[in-house]
Amino acid sequence: MQNLFTVAGMYRLLYVYNGIVIFILMAFICSTQIRINNSMTARAFLDTAGAIPQSSSVIFCKIVFAFLSFVLVGCLYRKNKNLRVKYFLFATEIIICMFLMRVLNLSYDGLVLLVIADLMYKYEGQRQEYTLLIAMICLYFIANYNLAIFQTKIISFEAYASYYNASTKAVLLALKNSFYSLNIIIFVFYLVVLLKSKHEEKERIRLLNEKLEEANQRLRAYAIEVAQMAETRERNRLAREIHDTLGHALTGIAAGLDACLMTLEIAPDLTKKQLNKIRDTAKKGITDVRRSVKKLRPDDLERLPFQEALLEMTKDYSASSGMEITVDIFSWSDKLRQDQEDVIYRVLQESITNANRHGHATKVKITIGGNEKYLLILIADNGQGCENVKQGFGLKHMRERLELLHGSIHYWNDSGFIVEAMIPLNWEG
Amino acid sequence: MIRKVLVAVIIAIIFLYWYMSRPPTTLTLGIFVNHWDVPQGEPYAVVDEIIKDFEAENPGVKIKYVSGIKKEDYSEWLAEQFLNGAEPDVFLILAEDFNLYASIGALMKLNGFMADDKNFLAEVYYPAAFNFGKYEKIYYALPCESTLTFMFVNKSLLEREGVAIPKNDWTWKDFLEICRKVTRDTDGDGVPDQFGCYDYSWNQAAISNGVKFFRDDGKTSYFADSRMEEAVKFVMELRGVNGGFEVSPKDFDIGRVAFRPFTFAEYRTYKPYPWRIKKYSSFEWDCIKMPAGNSGGNISVMDTLLVGMSERTRDKDLAWALLKKICYDKKIQQLILKKSQALPVRRDVIISAEAEEIFSWESSETPAITPADISDAMDEAIMPFKFKNYNSAMLYADNEIKKIIEGVVPLNNALNKLQKEINALLQY
Repeated sequence: MQNLFTVAGMYRLLYVYNGIVIFILMAFICSTQIRINNSMTARAFLDTAGAIPQSSSVIFCKIVFAFLSFVLVGCLYRKNKNLRVKYFLFATEIIICMFLMRVLNLSYDGLVLLVIADLMYKYEGQRQEYTLLIAMICLYFIANYNLAIFQTKIISFEAYASYYNASTKAVLLALKNSFYSLNIIIFVFYLVVLLKSKHEEKERIRLLNEKLEEANQRLRAYAIEVAQMAETRERNRLAREIHDTLGHALTGIAAGLDACLMTLEIAPDLTKKQLNKIRDTAKKGITDVRRSVKKLRPDDLERLPFQEALLEMTKDYSASSGMEITVDIFSWSDKLRQDQEDVIYRVLQESITNANRHGHATKVKITIGGNEKYLLILIADNGQGCENVKQGFGLKHMRERLELLHGSIHYWNDSGFIVEAMIPLNWEG
Repeated sequence: MIRKVLVAVIIAIIFLYWYMSRPPTTLTLGIFVNHWDVPQGEPYAVVDEIIKDFEAENPGVKIKYVSGIKKEDYSEWLAEQFLNGAEPDVFLILAEDFNLYASIGALMKLNGFMADDKNFLAEVYYPAAFNFGKYEKIYYALPCESTLTFMFVNKSLLEREGVAIPKNDWTWKDFLEICRKVTRDTDGDGVPDQFGCYDYSWNQAAISNGVKFFRDDGKTSYFADSRMEEAVKFVMELRGVNGGFEVSPKDFDIGRVAFRPFTFAEYRTYKPYPWRIKKYSSFEWDCIKMPAGNSGGNISVMDTLLVGMSERTRDKDLAWALLKKICYDKKIQQLILKKSQALPVRRDVIISAEAEEIFSWESSETPAITPADISDAMDEAIMPFKFKNYNSAMLYADNEIKKIIEGVVPLNNALNKLQKEINALLQY
């Protein structure tokens, strides 16, 4: 019962009902013809009939064959997706409908409603309501045209009913009318169910749209927030860059100049050499600053493969500051993203600068290792370290940078200062 | 999947179409016996000859017919065949059924066949016979044989009374004169026992006076025509000659009546041996044309037997060939002349030497009517009406006019009234 009030259920009911009515009418026509022949009133019947009837067996075969093809074509029509084939099938359905009505002597035109039901079943979209209207008008005309063409060749239902006595005839006519009325009731109910289901679907779509709109709004607010965050971050980044590049270079230069001051008188040649290196560092710093302003990206990283860039950077620093820097690479990932490279570069740069500036270290040992999941960077110096590590600008920025990559940073004192940075590799961010 | 189903369905339809449209090997023929209500010796002689000829001309084709159907059962039998979808391909049509079958589209339209067939010439037929198969300007049937009404003349009686046999162009005046002359009491018992005519009806009089009772579509009647009044007056006058004495068929059979309208079929049946011996053996007799009215001619009604083919016949050309064999073939028409009681419908057969031979029953006497006279009569003859309400209208008219003739109702305005009543009747 629950199934019946669905669109498909009502549709099936409409088909089954029409099938039953057609077969009842066919049985009535055939049996009446046989009775007429048996009661020797064929000549009188022909007089009232006004047309030659087909023989009972022919009517039976035609009805069974035509109705089965009607059902088949209707089924194909509903399943088919190709528009051209669909039009063809629909036209075929109309022709079969006309044929069936003709064989039944136009005594039942409920089949037209079945065709319209088929059409409605497929009805979608906004502009198709015009198509639907036109198609329905056409069907109406076809039914009437059918009537006009065949009028002279049709034996009315009344002619058949007239064979029976008056009271039976009245019952027969009432039955026939109620067949038609019931068909209309089922059809209207089908339409109601169809409209309801379409309405429900529309309602569902409306609700979904509302949700989507809400999500969109949230997304827009979030986008604004993100933009603001990005702006803040960018500002921080810029500060960081200035600190990193300019700070690094200036620290190096300052450290180098300190050394020069001490060696100036003892070894002027060495000092000269050292000054040259300091100049180079300064020049590099300038280039870096320019870069930062322009692209905020280290020059070495631009020019060289990442690993070489790292080594270059350490060598430069050690040359300018006089610190002994060793780099041991145990394992390396070739699939580092640019942001990861940037972070690694900056972490090393910052750590070396810190070791020089705060720890006054003479030796820095850098170890890079890890596995396929993460990269571990260990920077240990032999400086004085500090008892209470006060998170300065540098360390804070390192932490921020690493956290953006879902990495982490640890630092502690152990005969010097040790920084341990961990960067996950498989994290797709 | 869909394509496969469609292909299967199309193949099935083509097969079915082929199966249904195969040329048939059997044609059926619908016939009845006793067409003209006269005894028949060999009722199937002509049909069997037709079948033999046709089967010889069309090898592989068989013709079947159901024998033993009488004229009165034929109408119902044919209707039942139509209802069963088993009607014969070619069949005889009763005049009263023709309009029905033509109007419901049961009969094949023949105009196309007649136009396409180079061997077919409508001119060979008498117009009244050929046009009898026409319904609303379309030909649905061909004539096969006809019969028309002649006047039976008791030659022995006229000879006894010293009256010459009237010529074929005789008139009402001659008719009335002879009737007056021969009506008398021969045995002296005071009651007239010899009469002028028997069974001469008002409608025979009206037709020979040029009256047309109805419009062709059968919706209006013309009983108020002045020629109709003349005819009624003539019949009343003729009746007056008998002095109120009713003539019985027995009087006629024993040779005491000079004239009686007679169909050609009766003439053909009773004139030659053996029926000649059985009936009317006590006097010499012959047939002449009907007497002409003042405003008409020696006209009578010609009844024609029609043959049509079914709209649903499976092989139209074969059915047309069979129809032509029955109605057009000269040999068959001559056979009808020889074997049937009716007249063939081809003019060339009626006026052939063979007809001459057949119609001069006894070499000793010259017949009063020659094939040329018969041919003339057939040319002049009119067709009977065959619209739906014809019989009931005529029955009603007959009742009313009989009252006028018998003097129950005065003639004054009676025909006008009758026309109105009949017109009302025809509207249904």
